[in-house]
Amino acid sequence: MESPKTEDQKLQMFFDGELAPQEEAAVRRSLEGSPEGMARLREWEQLREAMKSVSEDWAGEINSDALFARIEAEISAPVVPIEQPEREQPALRVVPGKRERRVWGGVATGFAAAAAIFLAVMAWPGEPTVDSVPVVRGSEVLEVDFGSNTGTIFEVEGGAGESLAVVWIDDEEVGLP
Amino acid sequence: MSLIRHLLVITVLLSCAVVFRASGASAQSSSLVKSDRAASTSKVPAEVLVVLAKEEAGEVDPQLKKLTALRRPPFNAFRSMKILSRPKLTLTPGKDALVSLPNGRRVKLTLLRVMPNGRYKVRAAINRPDKSDYLPLLQVVASAGDPFFVAGQSYQGGTLVVGVIVDPKKTAQ
Repeated sequence: MESPKTEDQKLQMFFDGELAPQEEAAVRRSLEGSPEGMARLREWEQLREAMKSVSEDWAGEINSDALFARIEAEISAPVVPIEQPEREQPALRVVPGKRERRVWGGVATGFAAAAAIFLAVMAWPGEPTVDSVPVVRGSEVLEVDFGSNTGTIFEVEGGAGESLAVVWIDDEEVGLP
Repeated sequence: MSLIRHLLVITVLLSCAVVFRASGASAQSSSLVKSDRAASTSKVPAEVLVVLAKEEAGEVDPQLKKLTALRRPPFNAFRSMKILSRPKLTLTPGKDALVSLPNGRRVKLTLLRVMPNGRYKVRAAINRPDKSDYLPLLQVVASAGDPFFVAGQSYQGGTLVVGVIVDPKKTAQ
């Protein structure tokens, strides 16, 4: 649906010659009784004439043939590489993606494995050290040979409750010197 | 490919742990051996207590009151005890140390080794020169400062009680 044109729009379109013949005739009739409308039309006409004269002056000053010849010459000229001053390359950063996730997954797995191994090694029962061996008090017989005599092995309690070895040998076969 | 790489990493870490553990155990073992060897090569003081014990009533040497074991069976039959000698000697591993007894016999003591737990393995024998052994062989393990006794020899109406104390000044904690 076409919105109704305002008087100002109609006047502009009339000035530009864009109205339909019926509308143009209607505007022309309304302008006959409107000195203001006629004044605006004259102002626009003066502006149009002024711009037209200026553009004609500029167009006269410009050598269009020379201008196009220069443009063509610039286009056909060989390309000269422009040397850029060396600048420090910005630090590269890996954009998060599948690859990075895979790397971090590997690192995490490695750390987890290392932690598990560390715990396993620490908890691994090792050989008893000297410090871990409980202190044993007293004395004990490992081996005894009574020879031709007879004897008895006793265990006597010491002052600290420790067991002390006593080897008692009958002295019947060997006489005193 | 990623899984294989992870497995390789784990394998390498495990290998490192095993090698680390093995080297640690080896170092510990060698440390023990070294400690044992070093200890066994050192000289150890010892003391031989020669006591004449009798059943007849008498005095018990005050120095023996600390040895409460001499008041317990089979020593409780004796009512008097006298220290005849108390020689001090140094035991060297593999080397015999001789102590003469008043009855003419000799006690031969040999330090065989120092155990990893600090105890001493000692061999003892009592014999008479050019005679058959009274006690051919006795092997004992004793802690520092804790005695072992050899008793039964008749002497002057009484019985000889021989106590051997290895490293007497060092008392086991």
